[in-house]
This record gives sequence, C-alpha cells and structure tokens, in this order.
Amino acid sequence: MNMLLKSAKIIDSSSPFNQKVKDILIKDGQIVTIADKIKEEKDIAVFTRENLHVSIGWCDMHTNLRDPGFEHKENIESGILAAIAGGYTAIACSPNTLPVIHSKSEVEYVINKAKNRAVGIFPIGAITKNLEGKDLTEMHDMLQAGAIAFSDGKKTIKNTGMIKIAMQYAKGINTLLIIHPEDKDLAPSGMVHEGVHSTRSGLSGSPSLAEEIMVSKNIELAAHYGVKIHFLAVSTSKSVELIRAAKAKGIQITAGVNAYNLLLDDSNIETFDSNYKVNPPLRTKSDIEALINGLKDGTIDVINSDHSPEDEESKIVEFDQARFGMIGLETAFAVINTSLNSKLSTEQIIEKIAINPRKILGIPSPTIAEKSKANLTLFDPSFKWTFGLADIKSKSKNTPFIGTDFIGKALGVINS
Amino acid sequence: MAENLSVKHLLGIKHLTLDDIQLIFKTADHFKEVINRPIKKIPSLRDITIVNLFFENSTRTRISFELAERRLSADIINFSASQSSVSKGETLIDTVKNILAMKVDMVVMRHPNPGAAVFLSKHINASIVNAGDGAHEHPTQALLDAYTIREKYGDVKGKKIAIIGDVLHSRVALSNIFCLNKLGAEVTVCGPATLIPQYIQELGVKVNHNLKETLNWCDVAMLLRIQLERQGVNFIPSLREYAMTFGVNLDTLNKIERPITIMHPGPINRGVELSSDAADSKHSLILTQVENGVAIRMAIIYLLAGNITISNFS
Repeated sequence: MNMLLKSAKIIDSSSPFNQKVKDILIKDGQIVTIADKIKEEKDIAVFTRENLHVSIGWCDMHTNLRDPGFEHKENIESGILAAIAGGYTAIACSPNTLPVIHSKSEVEYVINKAKNRAVGIFPIGAITKNLEGKDLTEMHDMLQAGAIAFSDGKKTIKNTGMIKIAMQYAKGINTLLIIHPEDKDLAPSGMVHEGVHSTRSGLSGSPSLAEEIMVSKNIELAAHYGVKIHFLAVSTSKSVELIRAAKAKGIQITAGVNAYNLLLDDSNIETFDSNYKVNPPLRTKSDIEALINGLKDGTIDVINSDHSPEDEESKIVEFDQARFGMIGLETAFAVINTSLNSKLSTEQIIEKIAINPRKILGIPSPTIAEKSKANLTLFDPSFKWTFGLADIKSKSKNTPFIGTDFIGKALGVINS
Repeated sequence: MAENLSVKHLLGIKHLTLDDIQLIFKTADHFKEVINRPIKKIPSLRDITIVNLFFENSTRTRISFELAERRLSADIINFSASQSSVSKGETLIDTVKNILAMKVDMVVMRHPNPGAAVFLSKHINASIVNAGDGAHEHPTQALLDAYTIREKYGDVKGKKIAIIGDVLHSRVALSNIFCLNKLGAEVTVCGPATLIPQYIQELGVKVNHNLKETLNWCDVAMLLRIQLERQGVNFIPSLREYAMTFGVNLDTLNKIERPITIMHPGPINRGVELSSDAADSKHSLILTQVENGVAIRMAIIYLLAGNITISNFS
C-alpha cells in the first residue's frame, strides 16, 4: 500500500515523533519518511483531513467472533470488516464458539481463515473442555498452534481446585490466563446490576459482590501460585479498589474494562431494551467514576470492545429471554472517547486500546518510525458524529447506540 | 380533572400520573354502581375486541378481566399458553401480531417475564393492559387495592400501609408501593430478610422485620401469598416457621391496640400467611377487593378504549 498522510498528529509514547504533527509517507506497506512536509508524488494517494491523528493500530483483547458455529451472527470475514471500521488492526477472539476453541484444530481453523488480512486475529483457547470448568484443555498444544492466551470466556470456573490446577499449568507453560470474575451462585438468574433499578424493574439482579468476591479470590490464588492473570473485565468500584491494592503489593495481575461500562449506567435497564443486557452488567454512576479513576491511575490496563454479535431472534425478545451482549467494535473508540475525552489524554486512551493489550498478550508492538512496517489507525478524537445503522459492518445489529451522538471517530486503518 | 388518561397503555403504575389514578377511581365509582344494578351490562364497548393473553396461569385475574370486558359489552377472545410451549415455537411479537391481524383492538396480557408488556408496546399498535409481568408490575391489582382503601377510609393520603410477605418476588408489592406512594400513603414492607429486596428502601418505603411492630403501626396490612420455593431455592426454612413468625391470625389481630384492615390479593394460603379466622373476620376486605377488581378493570378498559376510538377517527 502506498499513501501519503498529510499533517497527522502522531500519538505514540514510544516514538520521538509523539505529539508532533508530521507528514507520513507509506510505500509498499512500509513507513518510508516522516517529515514536516513531504512532497506529493504521482501514484501515491494523499490523505488529508483536519485534526487527523495517527497511532499504532488498535488491539482489542475481547472480541466474540461467532465463527465457527454461529456464522449467521458473525463470521471471521464480517468480524474483520467491523474491526476495520472501528480502527482495530488486531483482535483477540474468545473461545466461546461451536465447537469451542479447545483444541489445536479450532485454533488452526481461526488462524488459517484470518491469514494475511488487515486485521490480525489472535485466538484465545479455552482453559477447560467445552468451557465446562471440569477438565483442562491441551493448552500446550494450542499454544504451539498459535493460541495467544487462555480463558473460559464469560464462564467462571467455579471449583477453586480447578482454578488452582489451571493456574499452575499455565505458569508451567508460561502463558496468560484471562478470568471473568463472576460468582453465579450469588445470583443464578442475575442479568442486571442489583440496585434500585433492578428493584424498580423486577429484573433479576446480580450484586456487585458477585464480581468482587471472584476478583478477590483470584487475586489471592494468583498471588499464592505466583502466576500472571488478567481480569477480562471488571465493572465495580470495589473491584477497582481490590486490584489497586493487589498491584500495590506487587501481585502480577492486569485488568480490563468494557467500553460500554464506561458510558452507560444501570438506569438504562428500565427501558427493558435487551441491548442493555450485558455481562458484566451496567453499573451505577459512581462505579463508572471509579472505573475511570482506575484507568487514570493505571489500575485498569485495558479497554475492550466486548463485541458480542447476536441475531434478532436472540435480542428482539423479552429481556429475560434475550442473550447477553452488544456489538462493540464499530463503536468502541467513540464510546470510550466520549466517556473519557475530558478525563484521560488521547495518549492515555491509546495506551489502553493499543499498547497495553499487546503488552499483556505478548504481541509485538508496531512502532511509528521510518523503515518500520505500517500498522496504523487514523482517527479524530474531537470529531462529533451520530452513529447510524449504516456504520455497522457486523452481521448483527444489536447495539443501543443507533442515533447516539459521539465525540471521536476511527477513520481507518493501514496494515498490510 | 382530565377526561383522558395520559397513557395509551396501562403498563405499570410507574407510568401513570396522579390525575390518571384519580380519573380511574372516579370512573370505577360509576362502574361499581353499574355492576350492582339488576342489569349489570352496558353497551359502551360494543365495537371493541379484546384478547386476554395469558402466558402464565391465572384464575382470578383472568376471570375479573373477562367479567369487566363482558360487562362493557366488548367482544373477547381468550388465549392461554404456558411459557414453555410458546418459547419452543412462536415469539411473543409473532403471537400478538397474528392475533392483532384479526382486528383486535386491545391486549390484556399476563406474562412471566418482567417488562414483557413494555417490550410488546414498542412493537405493536394496540393498547396493552398489563395483567402482571414477572416480578415487575401488576397495576390493576394495585389500583383496586388503593381503590378499596379509599373506599374504606375516604382517602389513601396519610394512611399507613404494611405490605407483608414475599416482597422480593412480588409484582403486587412493587405496583402497590408505586401507587400508594403516588397517593401519599406511608408504606412499610415486612417479611423475612431473604424475601425483602436489598434496595427496597430507595423506593421510599420503610423496612421492618417484626410483624407485631408492623401490625401495631399500620392502618392496613396487605398480606402476600407465600411460596416455599422460588426457582429451585427455598428462601424460608418451612411454611410452618413462616406461619409462626409472619402469619396473621385472629388472635394477633385482637391483640393490636387499634383496629386494622386486612387485605390479600389472593389466592390465600389459609393457615400460612393468613389464618381462616382472620381471613373471614370483620377485619378482612378481601372479598371487597375482588368486587372492586371488576369495577377498576372496567374503568381502565373503558378509558383506554376511549383513546382507541379517538385515534381511529382523528
């Protein structure tokens, strides 16, 4: 790919050009020149736009591709298009497919289908067979085949003995476990945050405690067995506190938060719109504030899209009957930036959506430098726009954000 | 006072204004007089067709609605389906759209999921009356309860109402809290701590786990039906222990310093939340509630049907 980016503000804390406005010349997928003013050449497309920003390509740690098994909701092809629309050049996909990504064959299936695309796809393998929390998968074999980390998706392993074994084994093969902290016993049918809005709506609530108790338990286990773990997504203020305290003690944990948990609070559930049925559930305004503070001080490392495509049959039904999740790749940056733009710097936001995810997963980070491969996201953090149906590239349309006004937009990616 | 409701549907008390509630009461006054005449039927809604859509078992609510509809001369059809048979096949929207395609004007729906009526209202045009949706709301029950209190005491404002029993799983409790709050009553909920929602106080009610204290405080005690098991979990150790700690009998009532009124949405578990001697005593307004249920439902259907006619001709 050949392209000349004019007057792009470079956001890359590792680059000497950080925060500088430069022209960037890309030839055959490689950054050739970064300079104040580069002359336009024949046969090289020029990209000019007011307030153009450029960073390394973004990386999502939590995308649900529905391929294999639920290709009518999303397949790898449509997932890639959604990722590009959202500014991502790398996504780690959950093992909750059918079959589950729980052996070498499924890992290879995903990797082969996604080869040589503008978006790198990094499959996450299951910790236990069929995500049942009972028997360990062949993690080593999957790791060799290209699995980037291991997780049971949004199933939490209940049995503490099983978590112990998974942690010890993961440590032995030097890989990362990603944990979804939720104690389902506290609220077997919980589907929204337990609070005043669940009480008013009669919807079955899941208390913040259900998350916190598992955050706490897994911190203790990780500390005891000396293993690195990553919390997929936390959503409560107490979880942030627990992680902050654990990090201060030097325990090797990292944590993510889902974009929607930064913008939407639990009052939305009173509409009974199933697009607000997500996991972790939408929490209170004070939880949102605590999450933002956690992002600011580095307690929370990563922001996920938690892209969860669902068909109409799974969503345009009674709230109780609906499946959890909303699509998120196309809106993640807009949601994050709208929520955070006055509280975190653009550089900090990029850290959470591009730099830290790769660091945690162990994916080599691209750089913005001459002679390096171009792996870039173009964006405008102050652009005001309204999200519409036409902006959705995913096969599924389950989002509450149609018609929402956002600040900040991903403009495109360069990655070949 | 307004002559029309501010809403097209009756989805919950939450959505009603105080004026709406007063209008429903005033209209029910009229219908209560009508149903006590020798000829109980009026031709008001001869051109209206109503479907009673019950996705959950109900005897008394369904009969009450059906009678209200018949007294108003509406055409009615009844549809009962257990949730399981529907979930295997047709979606809720499809079921209702099929019925509406046969030119039905109004839907009365009982459904096991909270928010089902709100959800349906976003996808169909007909007026909807929520006859109970999961643990969310049961607005007609709350209206008939408040109406009964108003009838007995002249006004609901300032009255002290205790709601006793399984508040956690009760749409009746929730709708009553919304309704009584709007009408200016004071509400206390009482029951075993496992059956009282943790955040209920934020709805403007007090919580007391002591039955005796609660009965001594209140003017009206609304008792709720107790089920031992909910979704496979026992929230109380036994019905026997419940009856011992929260059951109301004539002896308890006689020991209270001042007379109080007992209400129950039915069906009663005699000997559990309420003993027979108390249920059938002078304290009890249970059968008045049932009678008022028909008048209140007539009023609601009549008022909502008024909106239908207006929209059809405008």
